Amino acid sequence: MEVLGDIFNLALIAATLRTTAPILLVALGGTFTTKAGIFNIGLEGQMLIAAFFAVLGSIWTSSAIGGVLIGMMAAMIFAGTFSLLVVTLRANEVVVGLALNILAGGLTISLTKAIFGTRGSIVNPDIVGFAPVNIPIIDDIPGLDRVLSGYTPLVYLAFILVFVVWIIFYRTRLGLHIRVTGEKPEAAEALGINPNTMQHIASLMCGALAGIAGAHLSLGYITMFAENMSAGRGFMAVAVLIFSNGDPVKVLLGCLLFGFSDAMALRLQTFGFPSYLVLTVPYIVTLAALFMLTYRQRPKIIRETLESMSLVRRQEP
Amino acid sequence: MSEQSETRELTPAKAPVAMPEWLHSLLGTLLAISIALLGGAVIAIMVGESPFHVFMTLLRGAFGGPDRIAGSLLQSTPIIISGIAACIAFRGGLFNIGVEGQLYMGGFAAAWVGFSFVLPAPLHLTLGIAAAIAAGALWILIPAFFRARYGTNEVVSTILSNYVAILLTSYFTIFVFKRPGGWSETAPISTTAELPQLFEFSRLNWGLFIGVALAVGLHMFLTRTTAGYSMCAMGSNPKFAEYGGVPIRRNVFLILLCSGAVGGLAGGVETLGVHHRFMEGFAPGFGFDGVIAALLANGHPILTIFTALFFGALRAGSLLMEVETNASRELITVVQAFIILAVSAQLLVRRRRDSQAGERRWKY
Repeated sequence: MEVLGDIFNLALIAATLRTTAPILLVALGGTFTTKAGIFNIGLEGQMLIAAFFAVLGSIWTSSAIGGVLIGMMAAMIFAGTFSLLVVTLRANEVVVGLALNILAGGLTISLTKAIFGTRGSIVNPDIVGFAPVNIPIIDDIPGLDRVLSGYTPLVYLAFILVFVVWIIFYRTRLGLHIRVTGEKPEAAEALGINPNTMQHIASLMCGALAGIAGAHLSLGYITMFAENMSAGRGFMAVAVLIFSNGDPVKVLLGCLLFGFSDAMALRLQTFGFPSYLVLTVPYIVTLAALFMLTYRQRPKIIRETLESMSLVRRQEP
Repeated sequence: MSEQSETRELTPAKAPVAMPEWLHSLLGTLLAISIALLGGAVIAIMVGESPFHVFMTLLRGAFGGPDRIAGSLLQSTPIIISGIAACIAFRGGLFNIGVEGQLYMGGFAAAWVGFSFVLPAPLHLTLGIAAAIAAGALWILIPAFFRARYGTNEVVSTILSNYVAILLTSYFTIFVFKRPGGWSETAPISTTAELPQLFEFSRLNWGLFIGVALAVGLHMFLTRTTAGYSMCAMGSNPKFAEYGGVPIRRNVFLILLCSGAVGGLAGGVETLGVHHRFMEGFAPGFGFDGVIAALLANGHPILTIFTALFFGALRAGSLLMEVETNASRELITVVQAFIILAVSAQLLVRRRRDSQAGERRWKY
């Protein structure tokens, strides 16, 4: 029991919020493409390329913000390429997404070797990361200070963005147009909206947020770049997007679940569980959630089919 | 709206236009490769090397002498087999991006049979290969079931299961079956389970012929049998296939299972034929290369042999390139990605006909 008490405490909640942030940022980016009707498997690559260029930008500009902006630009170039191929040239979205992921993996390693002359990772004292920010009033309340304060700025940003993205989707014209494009492209066209333009915009917004997510990986709690450091978080985000259908609040819940399993895994490692087994936990949780929730969505579809069938039957006589 | 587009899709499918289609796709592929090599050249310049020097080193590494050529074929073997695994799924209109994970599970299962049993030679080898096939199929079983029954997206579920497979096999290798004194590898398999090598000077083995036989077999199956026809019909137009009486759900399940089984076989051939043990990270990226090779071949099994040979040669060449030039061997990954992007873009010539928002479909 004592061990359980050690595992489940305030520090775990804090760790959960911290590990949720990168998945949440990239998944919120993915809500734009999901709502616009694009299946975006390229999130992983956008995150990875941004993590690399954030480190580079941080060294060039000697500022963490500069790093984030350059990382965002890199991810947006990838997002722009994605939508150019998928939307304008009508290429298959899975194929293009995968190719861009592979490109991100190869490019970051090749450029690491080209610029820093090293293999595998970039560790450099010139990389400027984010310092944790303490919120003055909350810091005075014992208990809460450990849960709500002391994170790097991008963690706060991730959670604030949930509301911002919700407002964009449900309270702005742009959000409405993106949703219409995804749900009924014909209706969008009838309304005078160009679905292609909307999908390009959605993809670029997605790239911007995936860029912040990548920058958080390499400039947040650790200031370094390692090869394939996104480690499937982009794919986990895609899983969240599938069962949340791009709704920002559900995305938040899903990401908290994965953040929690991630934090749990890290915690279990310190208790002597073999790291290889423990590291599978986030992936298994994601897979289990994906399977369970698609299973639960099934009855709805059957009901709809039955309804449409009874409609047909009523028309027969 | 949908009816119209379907009738339009039916017309070209009925007419037997094998030759021009094939030529078209070959020309497109060659064009894409040249674009990609151009992209690779740009990276080479960024690394501070002459693209010509990098390219020649790559060629020399791949084809400079019989041992180098055997090395290229050796690298191609797992790519051919995993490419066929990916082909099976693609032709059925599905994506198996989990070939990498199935390869790891298959490789481990084969090695396990190889080092834990004492059996006569042909039986031991057969059992090892059967274990690899079973492990691969088992590893895709759950994603396949949920895809067939509930429509759970197989792209994401197979990708995520890759990570689990790689970590799990590493765990078993390091914590359960580690060779005493060895470095993250299992005990060697007994010689009765080894896949025979072809030459003295190379680890090239019979796996290459297994790969080619699989490709030819799949091609025959797709072009000569009713089951193969219904599979292709499913891949190109699932609604029409269902209307024509193809049991979609059962087929989706079986296609993914077969695809996973072949993916497992790729790993088994690699451990039984090349390494003779399971090592952590024994086959980095072979599964992914197979998927790309199948994509580049547009799902055509025979063409997949050639694209896999091309990627295998690139891989073998990149090893020398990394030693002799500043460029890292991941340069070829960049080239591969460019090739796929260029190929996907040249599909512009034949626009995707289905409505853009809803269904994703492997075009044919």
